[in-house]
Amino acid sequence: MGLDQRFLGVLDTSPFRIAIVYSIVFACGAAALLGAVNFAVSRVVDGSTDNLIEAEVQGLREQMLVLSRNDFIELIEQRSQEQDVRGAVYLMVDPQLRPVAGNVPAWPTLDAGAGKWFLFKVSVPFGDETREHEMRAQRFPLPGGYRMLVGHDVQERQDVKSLMMRGLIAAVVLTLLMGLGGGFWMGRRILAQAGAISAVATQIMRGDLSQRLPVRDADDEINTLAREINTMLDKIEQLTLGMRTVLDSAAHDLRTPLNRLQSTAEAAMTQLVPGSAERRVLEGVSTEVDHMRSTLDALLRIALAETGTVAREPVDLSELVASVVELYAPVSEERGIILESSVSTGAQVLGSRQLLAQALANLLDNAIKFTPDGGRIRVQLRGSASEPEIIVEDNGPGIPADKREIVLGRRVRLDEARKFPGSGLGLSLVAAVTKLHGARLVLDDAGPGLRVSLKF
Amino acid sequence: MHILIVEDDEVARDYLAKALREVGHTVDVAGNGLEGLHLASSLAVDLAIVDRMLPKLDGLALVQSLRATGRKMPVLILSALGDVDDRITGLRAGGDDYLTKPYHMAELLARIDALARRGESGSAEANTKLKLADLELDRMTRRVMRNGKKIELTAREFQLLEFMMRHSGQVVTRTMLLEGVWDYHFDPQTNVIDVHISRLRQAIDKDFDKPLLHTVRGAGYSLREDE
Repeated sequence: MGLDQRFLGVLDTSPFRIAIVYSIVFACGAAALLGAVNFAVSRVVDGSTDNLIEAEVQGLREQMLVLSRNDFIELIEQRSQEQDVRGAVYLMVDPQLRPVAGNVPAWPTLDAGAGKWFLFKVSVPFGDETREHEMRAQRFPLPGGYRMLVGHDVQERQDVKSLMMRGLIAAVVLTLLMGLGGGFWMGRRILAQAGAISAVATQIMRGDLSQRLPVRDADDEINTLAREINTMLDKIEQLTLGMRTVLDSAAHDLRTPLNRLQSTAEAAMTQLVPGSAERRVLEGVSTEVDHMRSTLDALLRIALAETGTVAREPVDLSELVASVVELYAPVSEERGIILESSVSTGAQVLGSRQLLAQALANLLDNAIKFTPDGGRIRVQLRGSASEPEIIVEDNGPGIPADKREIVLGRRVRLDEARKFPGSGLGLSLVAAVTKLHGARLVLDDAGPGLRVSLKF
Repeated sequence: MHILIVEDDEVARDYLAKALREVGHTVDVAGNGLEGLHLASSLAVDLAIVDRMLPKLDGLALVQSLRATGRKMPVLILSALGDVDDRITGLRAGGDDYLTKPYHMAELLARIDALARRGESGSAEANTKLKLADLELDRMTRRVMRNGKKIELTAREFQLLEFMMRHSGQVVTRTMLLEGVWDYHFDPQTNVIDVHISRLRQAIDKDFDKPLLHTVRGAGYSLREDE
């Protein structure tokens, strides 16, 4: 099967197709050229033979007027012996078509419609055997009911013609075969190169930016292209590394003081009586640190997803969707919300399991937050195994059509949502994670409610 | 327990040392990676808390060196980085657990306890039957019995109970549960874990006099037999 596919793969390559087109063009060219040569040669050879016969007929007609029959017969005999039978042929017959003189054994049977010119066959000795030779001839009447035939052996001409025809066919077939073979060879070469490039590209897409396309020691288009892409990858790697460094130092410089703040507040709290005013202040500080931390976490994860500096691995999306739904099922049940799910099996994507899970958790979190008690949420995983689609629908208030684009931006909370807790980064993270996985995020009206679709 | 803290942030290090000493641990501190590696190799340390970004020798390199020289004590890595993949790199380098700053002391203490216990009873992993008071869990038959009565649990509730029983007597935080049972490393905005726990509590404690599943204020949960 693999071989078949490799074979079929070669047939799909552009060099193979170009080779096919060119070999057809060349084959047509060869056919046209040989056809033209054949035509020209025929014209010249046929023409000269015909002229020869015409001249001979003309001469004999003149001799016929001045010579007696016996002298004429003598002349014919003489001419016949002078000529090799493969050259000129003569035959004189009496009114009963019995041969009188000449080097042709019998008067040929002619079609009723035959004109001045006609073709006939004569057996000619050829080494130990005899061969049928084709003769082209003219006939004319002689006085007294006698008839005369003057012709020429054209077998050689026919041989040349059929040889040329065979050569023509052979040339066309050979051109086609060579084109096919060459195309196949070039196609395999291209396919091997493209295969190597695509294998590396897959690794790069998985987040391994240190990989480079294979470059051979040649200056063809593919190598030039590969070199240019590698230069581009160098730049991207530098930029990503720079981004990563900036993100890491930003994270470090924010987390370190937050950690000191948390430690100090917690250490001080242990010295204070629970419920005292001072302790309550410190508890407030600790809660704020928690909020800052979750905002910082979300922002960093959005930044990581947006810069694409996240390792990718095969993720079982079916398992993931089912498990996140299962994680949220008790919470929604507590609110009297019906959480339905239909999950198709075997869906797999290349990406970050943690980020995908968090994105889906954010969607469910939002849905549960905004759906009234006793509402309904529907989670679906559908589509093909390689191009799955996750849909989360609720029957909450939804998002007005003109604001759907805006909420995906960073930190947008609609006025109606202010009464609910949250950092306001939930959907932004979903958007960034969707982008990281090359998926499409669409917010829509669930009539009523919000319908979020993630199409991979 | 003898704990080594390798942390370059003095303020955080001092509070951490103080908190650990308060709960009865012996604590040594190091301010850079080289000093940390030296102490970890020369002292009989039961557990190490290592910051990821350290001067002189990076935290991950420190852990790798320790592991390369055959030191098997549990290591908790503290990180102030961006997370997602950092956690995986940290664990791959030889860390046993990973905590991102800022953290709550209760979270850190719970994780240290869990790590120490894991070191003590490595064979607990292999036990097919877990037992606490009159509560029994059989991992092979996936049956749970309390006081001779069979308790019906969902697959997830079973996993949750198994995790709690493995850590019985210890405090288990919400993030530890989300990591240990679901393998998710993010902070759910909603109280999803609390609701799962309250379901489990319904199942194992409701019809019995003595509750086993306790809430630990400000920290998490604990499965234990109350004296």
